Amino acid sequence: MVLSMGPQHPSTHGVLQIVLEIESENVVKADPEIGYLHTGIEKTAEGLFWTQAQTVVERMDYLAPSSNALCYALAVEKLLGITDRIPQRARDIRVLHMELTRIASHCVWLGTHGIDLGAISVFFYCFDLRENILDLQESAGGARMHPNYVRVGGLNGDLPDGQMAQLDALIEKFPGRMRELRGLLQANPIFQDRTIDVGVLTPEEAVAWSVTGPSLRASGIAYDVRKAAPYSGYEGYEFDVPTREEGDAYARFLVRLDEMEQSMRIVEQARKRLNEPGPVMIDDPKVALPPKETIALSMEALIHHFKLISEGFRVPPGDVYQSIESPRGELGYYIVSNGENRPYRLRTRPPSMYNLQALKGIAPGNLIADLVVMIGSLDPVFGEVDR
Amino acid sequence: MPSTQVPPIAGTAIDPPSLRPPIDDAAIERIAPGALRARLQQLKDDGYAMLLDLGAVDYLQRKPRFDVVYHLLKLPPKKAGVAEVGSPPRLRVLCGVEENEHLPTVMDLWKSADWAEREVYDLFGIVFDGHSDLRRIQMPHDWEGHPLRKDYPMRGPARERAPRPSFANKSNVIAGTPPSGRTFEALQEEVKRARES
Repeated sequence: MVLSMGPQHPSTHGVLQIVLEIESENVVKADPEIGYLHTGIEKTAEGLFWTQAQTVVERMDYLAPSSNALCYALAVEKLLGITDRIPQRARDIRVLHMELTRIASHCVWLGTHGIDLGAISVFFYCFDLRENILDLQESAGGARMHPNYVRVGGLNGDLPDGQMAQLDALIEKFPGRMRELRGLLQANPIFQDRTIDVGVLTPEEAVAWSVTGPSLRASGIAYDVRKAAPYSGYEGYEFDVPTREEGDAYARFLVRLDEMEQSMRIVEQARKRLNEPGPVMIDDPKVALPPKETIALSMEALIHHFKLISEGFRVPPGDVYQSIESPRGELGYYIVSNGENRPYRLRTRPPSMYNLQALKGIAPGNLIADLVVMIGSLDPVFGEVDR
Repeated sequence: MPSTQVPPIAGTAIDPPSLRPPIDDAAIERIAPGALRARLQQLKDDGYAMLLDLGAVDYLQRKPRFDVVYHLLKLPPKKAGVAEVGSPPRLRVLCGVEENEHLPTVMDLWKSADWAEREVYDLFGIVFDGHSDLRRIQMPHDWEGHPLRKDYPMRGPARERAPRPSFANKSNVIAGTPPSGRTFEALQEEVKRARES
C-alpha cells in the first residue's frame, strides 16, 4: 500500500511529504518529497547588494538565523580579504550569539520532539528558555526571529545596556532548567522505548549520506567544524565535542542535550571577555557605514554613506567556500563574485537537506510511528531544506 | 523556456575562480567531464569518504558554460569507538560542462549525491547519466525552465499571465515515478476514485 504522509502533517516539522510504501504497519520504502517551501533564496540573492543578501540568507534556517548570517558574513569577509581585521569584540559577540542561537534552536527541536512523542510539557520548559534567548537577540539586533545582527565587517551595533545583566540571569537559570529537561525525558521509560534502537544510523551510512552535526556525532564520528576548521576565534574557547556510538534517536537526543551544556560553557567564556569595551565594526569606510554622528560633520563620511547605501560595496572576483557548525551540522556557502556589488552565485550547503535525505536509508524496516521519531531526531528545518 | 527573456544580471564572460588564487583552505582541482568519474572514484578510494556538497554555477558567456562543483571531505576510516577526525582536508573539484553536455552520476559513490544531482538538474538543467531517479526536486514537476540559469528572468516566466502551478501537481504520488509494484495509471485511477468518493 502506498501512503502519503504530509505535507500537512503535524509531525513533519514544516511541509514535508513522505511517500511511503508500507506492508501493514512496516515501512518498505520512504521517499521524502521536498520543495514545498522553495522560495528561491539563492536566485533572489543574486539580485541584491552584498549587504541586502544577508537579510534573505537569514531566512533559510529560521530557527538559527544568526548562524546563516555569520557563515555568509565570514565568506564575504574572506573574499574581501578583511578576515584578520574584524575587531576582537565583534568576534566574541558573534561567538556568544552563535552559541545562544544554538541553544535556542535545540530548544525548539527538543520541545517539538517531545510533542511528537506525547510529552507535551517539555515544550513549555523549552520555549520558556528559548524566549529568554530571543529577548537577548531582540535587544541586540532589534528583532526576535531574524535579528540581522551579524554584518559583513562586524556587527550591527554594540550590545545594548542591560544585556549583560540579562545574560547573567540566563547563565544562572540554565543549569537548573537543563536538569528539569533531562529529568523530564532522559530516564523516562516511554521516551526511551520510543527512541532507543530506533532510526539507527551506522557511521558508514552517516558518512555516505553526508550527515553532519549532532546526527553524525551520535554515530561516533567526532567531526565538528568548530574544531576541524575554527572560525571567528573558536580556537580560543574550551569546549568538548559530545559524541555517542549508538547512532539511534536516543543517542542523537543525548548528544544535543550535551551540546547545549557545552554551548553554555562557551557562552560563559565569551561573557567574561566582554567586560572590556571596544569597536564592533571594522574601521574601513569602504565596507562599514560611517558612525551616524560624523555624517553631518564630514564630507567624506557623507559620501561613503551615500555610496554604501545607494550602490553597496564591491567584492573582488573569486570564489570561496566557507562553512560553520550550525545547530544542524555543517552549513556552508560557496560564493562566486565577479567583482560586482552583488553576489554572482550563492550556493548553500544545507545541512538539513543532507541530514533529511538519510531518512531514505534508515526508514525502511521501521514502523510508521517510528518515522515521526526519526524525522524529529534528524531535526530538519524546511526553510533550509527547500531554500 | 521562459517567454519573457530579460538581459542577464551582470552576465560577464569572466571566470572568477581562474582570476584569483584560492583563498580558503580547500585544495582545488579542475577536471574535464570525460575524466571526472575515474578521478572521483580514485579520490574516494584515497579517503575522501564524504561528499560535502554538489552544486553548480552558470557563467553564461563562458565556454564551457557551467561549472559543477564538488566539495569533498577526507575522513579517516572508522575503527572501533569514537573516531577523532582532527582537521580533515577538503577538496573542491570543478568540472566545466557545456549546455547540452551530460555528466556521469556519482550517486553510486556517495549516496547523498542523489538529491544534490536532482537539484542541479532541476535548477540548472544539467543531466546526470545513470542517476536512478532524475526528476525535479524543488520546483513543481511541470515547471518550465531552470531558474538558477543566468538567462532565466528573476521574476519567472510571465507570472501574471500564466496560471500559478498548483501544489497538487507537486506531489509525486500523482506525477513522479510510481513506487515499486504500482503503475502510474493505476495510481492515477486510485487517486481519481478516492477524490470522487
